[in-house]
Amino acid sequence: MDGPMAVSALLSKLEIPRDTVLVIRDGTLVPGDAMLGPDDHIEIRPVISGGRS
Amino acid sequence: MKCRVCRGPAVVDVRRHNANFCEEHFLKLCRDQVEKAIHDHRMLEPGDRVLVAVSGGKDSLALWDILLQLGYETDGLYLGLGIGDYSSESGRFATGFAKERGLNLEEVDISSEYGFDIPGGSRAARRAPCSACGLTKRHLFDEAATRGSYDALATGHNLDDEAAVLLGNVLRWEHEYLGRQRPVLPAGDGFPKKIKPLVRLGEREMAAYCVLRGIDYMVEECPMAEGNRHLAYKEALNGIEDRSPGTKHSFYFGFQERTSVLFAGAGDSAGRPTRCDRCGAPGNSAVCAFCRLMERAGGRLPAAPEPVPVELGATRSNGQGSATT
Ligand code: SF4
Ligand SMILES: [Zn+2]
Ligand SMILES: [Zn+2]
Repeated sequence: MDGPMAVSALLSKLEIPRDTVLVIRDGTLVPGDAMLGPDDHIEIRPVISGGRS
Repeated sequence: MKCRVCRGPAVVDVRRHNANFCEEHFLKLCRDQVEKAIHDHRMLEPGDRVLVAVSGGKDSLALWDILLQLGYETDGLYLGLGIGDYSSESGRFATGFAKERGLNLEEVDISSEYGFDIPGGSRAARRAPCSACGLTKRHLFDEAATRGSYDALATGHNLDDEAAVLLGNVLRWEHEYLGRQRPVLPAGDGFPKKIKPLVRLGEREMAAYCVLRGIDYMVEECPMAEGNRHLAYKEALNGIEDRSPGTKHSFYFGFQERTSVLFAGAGDSAGRPTRCDRCGAPGNSAVCAFCRLMERAGGRLPAAPEPVPVELGATRSNGQGSATT
């Protein structure tokens, strides 16, 4: 990542549909329009569970 | 991004509602949606005792948290399914949640109590893992809810789950399943009342709810889920939802409000209701599906609990202590 980038831009660059993940920084949610810096540590957490019962 | 309610900075977007929310108003939205589901479908009365089926995942822990906030009296039941590390880790999340909050969680390990596990049961009975697992969970949760005289058994099925199941049932015209796909099933014939209070919330919302409430949950997927049909239906619906947000909601609730009545009664037990010869569970065959699965997998029912000796002061006799009350 060169320079700051919006969460939504990062997800589309990675081709991840926005509704299938949450972006988490320091234990809290980062909204789609938030800017991420090159030093930010984020978790992209999938939210889809597959089990059926 | 601004919160739709207070115009403060938002932390989460809900495209189905075409809106963004701050933490406070998002958590309120989740509680309100559960309250509305409970009210609209007459799931519970104030003060009801509820058994929550807890898996350690986001949905069941969020459900438990919300039911507590709404003031219901709740206990949890966790089933150790014997699916390797997945089961031992999800068990830790379930017990951690209950312990931190001082809640009552019963844990049943099926390998030690019933002598089989899901991978083994699925192989022995030649059933898909999720089918063996589903029938085991339904049997044991129903049985526990009945034994504990709970007013209802609550499960964490969310809108994404229910819409995907509905799609699968429609694609194959499973009219019996369609007849039973309701957010609440009344008690009857020895079965407890079953409720799905999360039907108005999607799975991304449940995950966001847990993060914001500081609930640690099992993020990793069950290894047995991979490649199952249910996941394919979810993906298909997500593709449609992406282009037209709100589709899952109108698909599921449109069915409930307008079409479900066409299938009413189709899923009600056919044949004469009876009791399982082995375990006494209600059903309509001599040996229930759970006992058949368990027996094929080489398991057995737990021995009936030994009568607890009661020593009565006045009749204390020879130390055999088998007085009954
Ligand atoms: S994914 Fe299937 S096997 Fe795994 S816990 Fe869920 S229902 Fe059971
Ligand atoms: Zn707000
Ligand atoms: Zn049985």
